[in-house]
Amino acid sequence: MRKILLTSAVFGLACAGFLGYQTVKAQDQELSPEEEIRLVQEFNRMMAEGINPGEIWAEMGKEAFKKYNLDKCDFGLGPGKIEGALAQLPRYFPDAKRVMDLETRIGWCLQQYAGMTPEQVKKFAKQCWGKSQCMGEYDAIVMYVSMASNGQKINVNLKDPQVRRMYEIGKQIYYARLGPWDFNCATCHAGQKEARIRATKLWSADRPGEAGQAVSIFPKYLVRWSQPVTMHYRYAECIRQMRWPTFEPHSDLAVALSAFLYGTANGTEIKVPGIGR
Amino acid sequence: MKKVLFLGLLAIGLVGISPAQQKKQPTKKEAGVKPEEVRRVLLSGFEQDPKFLWKLEQDESQRICSQYPSMEAMPAQAVQKVIELENKNITYPQWGIAWGDWKEGKKLVDNPRGGRYASYGFSDKPTDKGGNCYACHLIEKGVPGGTMGPQLTGYGKRYGITKENMNSPEGLEKLKTVYKIVYNSWHAFPCSAMPRFGYHGSLSPEDVMNIATYLLHPESPVNK
Repeated sequence: MRKILLTSAVFGLACAGFLGYQTVKAQDQELSPEEEIRLVQEFNRMMAEGINPGEIWAEMGKEAFKKYNLDKCDFGLGPGKIEGALAQLPRYFPDAKRVMDLETRIGWCLQQYAGMTPEQVKKFAKQCWGKSQCMGEYDAIVMYVSMASNGQKINVNLKDPQVRRMYEIGKQIYYARLGPWDFNCATCHAGQKEARIRATKLWSADRPGEAGQAVSIFPKYLVRWSQPVTMHYRYAECIRQMRWPTFEPHSDLAVALSAFLYGTANGTEIKVPGIGR
Repeated sequence: MKKVLFLGLLAIGLVGISPAQQKKQPTKKEAGVKPEEVRRVLLSGFEQDPKFLWKLEQDESQRICSQYPSMEAMPAQAVQKVIELENKNITYPQWGIAWGDWKEGKKLVDNPRGGRYASYGFSDKPTDKGGNCYACHLIEKGVPGGTMGPQLTGYGKRYGITKENMNSPEGLEKLKTVYKIVYNSWHAFPCSAMPRFGYHGSLSPEDVMNIATYLLHPESPVNK
């Protein structure tokens, strides 16, 4: 019943989007005030009714997970075991000889068990980047696996020297001033002073609990794009706004950032999918 | 040098910057991670398009700033070093310090586009030029803006600029002070969150002068 409700809700939204506005609005174009108001109203309604269309992707992901043989994939708790997987990632994987976070591990398993080349995996992971109303199988898989950890507390093992190393590297990159606009992650997401970028309140890695609130809800459904945003896609968007070159998912950089962010978020309960405007 | 410092302090006083960020240990010497290793991980995370890899080269000031979590955590020596370096990184319009066109300045201040690029999805056009100033600053009365940077409403009034005194040596000196902050904020506020728009060439000296004019000119909506 809930599934039907959700499906109809999403379908209704999509229709409203198509009818009321000239097809799909390109991401990141500046919105008109009317559209801003519509989005806020829609967001508020969804919050009030407890609807999160992101759950649709989990249903889709359950099938895609089987389709791509990911039940053979070991997320650190045994092959195919996804309950609590997200909560203990990133971790070191001896089979890959690498520290990996959830999405990097999914990418690795797609190569191992679905016969994809590294290029195909990258393309698969980025299939919904820069789009809206995109029902991507990759996003669906990430959503499905992430939701299986709901209710568990993030518990990254920072005592593991390999994970610790990535954490420290991630921390240094978090503070690295770089690029033609001199930004680092900390420009916006550090410090004690509460600040806004336009109307958006910024979370800070220095204020207790805020990093946890920020990362524990990923993948997150974005009302303005009518699709979920995975953690690596979010990194890519931040990095684009920082005027750095184009980000590569499943890279060591992604893992280092995840190690730092999830490590900082240790103890926070996972609540996926989040929802945002 | 003294004068620059004085003007910097003056600006802090006038603008009322209160960077109340947390004091924390420098991130510099973390448990045995070598800089080359950090560099390798960093470089692994980007598409290797040679057109854009120059963006990942750090200059001396960026390297210094990267070692400290905030401006307040910087030792005096590092602050001095960045000020010294960045004072050399300021150039002026070819006609020197003279009032520009505040209407042109307003366009640049209002424009949120410029410099964003990714190989997927949507990027700014190479010709897009804007400071996206409202992201961090409140500028014109009643226009929503961010609170990362100091509030700039009535900025020219606060500097005491009037129609009568704007072309006096003091008036032009104030214009120069603001020009320098917009062109290269780090010469006055080392490692501040504000990009060095002029130094990096995102904005030309003429653009920066128009923005400074927009902030200070008695006829600009900022000072209405």
